[in-house]
Amino acid sequence: MRVLVVEDYLPIQKAVAKSLREAGCAVDTSADGEEALWFASNNEYDVVVLDLMLPGLDGLSVLRRLRAGGGSSHVLLLTARDSVQDRVRGLDAGADDYLVKPFAMEELLARVRALARRAYCAKNPTIAVADLHIDTSRQEVSRGGQGLSLTAREYALLEYLAMRAGQVVSRADIWEHLYEFRADADSNVVDVYIGYLRRKLERAGQPSLIQTIRGVGYSLRGPS
Amino acid sequence: MRWSIRGRLLWSVIGAMAVLQIALATLVYEVMERAFRSDFDAVLAATARTLSAAVEQDGQELRADIDERDLPEFRRATQPDYFEVWRDDGQVLARSSSLKGGDLERVEGAVGAVTYRRVRLPDGRPGRAAVLQFVPKSDDEGQHRARRTATVGVARDRAPLDAQMAVLTWLLASGTGGTIAISFLVGMIIVRRGLAPLNRLAAEISSIDQADLSARVPSRMLPAELVPVVERLNDLLRRLEDAFARERSFTSDAAHELRTPLAGLRATIDVALARPRATTEYREALSDCLTIVQHTQTLTDHLLALARMEGDQAGAQRESLLVADLVDAAWRPLAPTVARRQLKLSAQIAPTITCTADRSLLLTILTELASNAAEYTEDGGRIDLAAVAVAGAVEVVIANTGCRLPPEAAERVFERFWRGDESRSQTGIHAGLGLTLVQRAVAAIGGSVAVSICDGTFAVRLRLPDRPSSRAPEVP
Repeated sequence: MRVLVVEDYLPIQKAVAKSLREAGCAVDTSADGEEALWFASNNEYDVVVLDLMLPGLDGLSVLRRLRAGGGSSHVLLLTARDSVQDRVRGLDAGADDYLVKPFAMEELLARVRALARRAYCAKNPTIAVADLHIDTSRQEVSRGGQGLSLTAREYALLEYLAMRAGQVVSRADIWEHLYEFRADADSNVVDVYIGYLRRKLERAGQPSLIQTIRGVGYSLRGPS
Repeated sequence: MRWSIRGRLLWSVIGAMAVLQIALATLVYEVMERAFRSDFDAVLAATARTLSAAVEQDGQELRADIDERDLPEFRRATQPDYFEVWRDDGQVLARSSSLKGGDLERVEGAVGAVTYRRVRLPDGRPGRAAVLQFVPKSDDEGQHRARRTATVGVARDRAPLDAQMAVLTWLLASGTGGTIAISFLVGMIIVRRGLAPLNRLAAEISSIDQADLSARVPSRMLPAELVPVVERLNDLLRRLEDAFARERSFTSDAAHELRTPLAGLRATIDVALARPRATTEYREALSDCLTIVQHTQTLTDHLLALARMEGDQAGAQRESLLVADLVDAAWRPLAPTVARRQLKLSAQIAPTITCTADRSLLLTILTELASNAAEYTEDGGRIDLAAVAVAGAVEVVIANTGCRLPPEAAERVFERFWRGDESRSQTGIHAGLGLTLVQRAVAAIGGSVAVSICDGTFAVRLRLPDRPSSRAPEVP
């Protein structure tokens, strides 16, 4: 899941980004409205966490311009202003959710997850593919009732494939959604992580759930 | 009990009316009583004179030739009138038959004068008597014999007079009482009508919601006397509303501003505690927390200073100060920052330039401007300090390079909680109160401050008063 955090107050930006990264998200950060707009129009973010009080171009203007430019990312507004008018203004400008500072990091993560599910039209936080179960709220994965231990990266990759289970997902898509703007790894890393993930999901006597579609990408699906 | 305008007006009007009415009635009573009595007395006197005409001096003797048949009032069986005629030696010459041999009281008086008195008639009725002392006519005119005098007394029942007076008294009393009662009612109505605008005003004022100060009392339909009161009241309400609004916006701005560092603290701590971490990560989180707390402290210090300044501007003391000393004092604590960031600091301030200000306020201003400049100048940038004396004032300029604000931002830098573009992202937090504080403090010492931004140079121009004073500048 790829998230853009727009917050001019560095301690919050740093903490939110760190938290999201630890939850397996690819996070880009910006402290400036104009820069945030550039990020949002050049990358496909699942969720944008947007502070309202930004220097220069303020959060609401960023949001309006993002929506006017056709940006469909889910936007979670973050602000110290909590009056009803403020919330209404934010939601009416095209935000999907609203969180008032100070907030519990847990809540921010849950809201980001909920918005990400919405991005894939999935309301159920638990995804099942054949005997593979993914609890996106707890980030727990099990196959055939047996828990699997994945790294944050591996989990993020699996969750992304699972959100689009049955579809063919291109390498570019995976790259776009799982890696940060400044990531210096090459696209080969996707294949490497697919390899790790396959090995962890392997179960004796069962077919692999991740299929390689030659020349296109990968697909997570049960045995047909 | 509290007195009321209505009560006071009503009772004073009624009281005055009553006193006036009673005085008038008394006057009328006196005049009428006198008139009635003099009519009554005139009849008595005429009777006495008629009787006196019937007395003659014949030689040395006096004779009374009174025929009661011509005088029926003395012959009435019931309630008759009475007369008696005496000689000068007190002997009775004649008396009415109604006296039945009794006497009337004889009074000595001047000859020819009639004396009137209240008497009790022989049958016990209250009466009025007229006594006339006179010189009877004589036959032997010309013979200058010694003339004798006689006295005639006439008395009659005063019941008709008393009855007239009783009617008069009743008429006057009932008239006065009625008039007072009617004037009470009319007065009540007039006072009530007259005070109705006051009641309306009271209702209007009491309907003003304590929570909503935007209400105003309408002054049309009110009498001219109340208009200034209402205007003052509306003015007061307006100022109160403004003050409350200012206070509210300040408090709310301050609260929101404090929320941001609080959110930063919470988020940093949340993340640090989310899972077991290496010592270096904890150390980093703690150091982040410390930075946030330090900035929060600056913010609260500024808020406090602003609040104090708004509350007590009169407390500022004026003294003559050496500008160079204070500039030096403001920059001294920043020496490590200047050295670390290799800032080129140059000052052109003549050591004799003075200004008239409150020492601590001016130090606050200069310290704030110094830390601002030290913070926003780029590494290796320049800071120029200058002070020149102009007529009756000192102009202090603090200019630093490295400003990335557009020139038009110069107007906004004094707004509370306004932050320049890069200021906050660079430092994490900057309360945005520093320049507001400077502006207030400068106003408190009677100076002015302006900011200009040109080609990346941020220049603050302070104009401080320099009035000649009895106190000599302090020389360190």
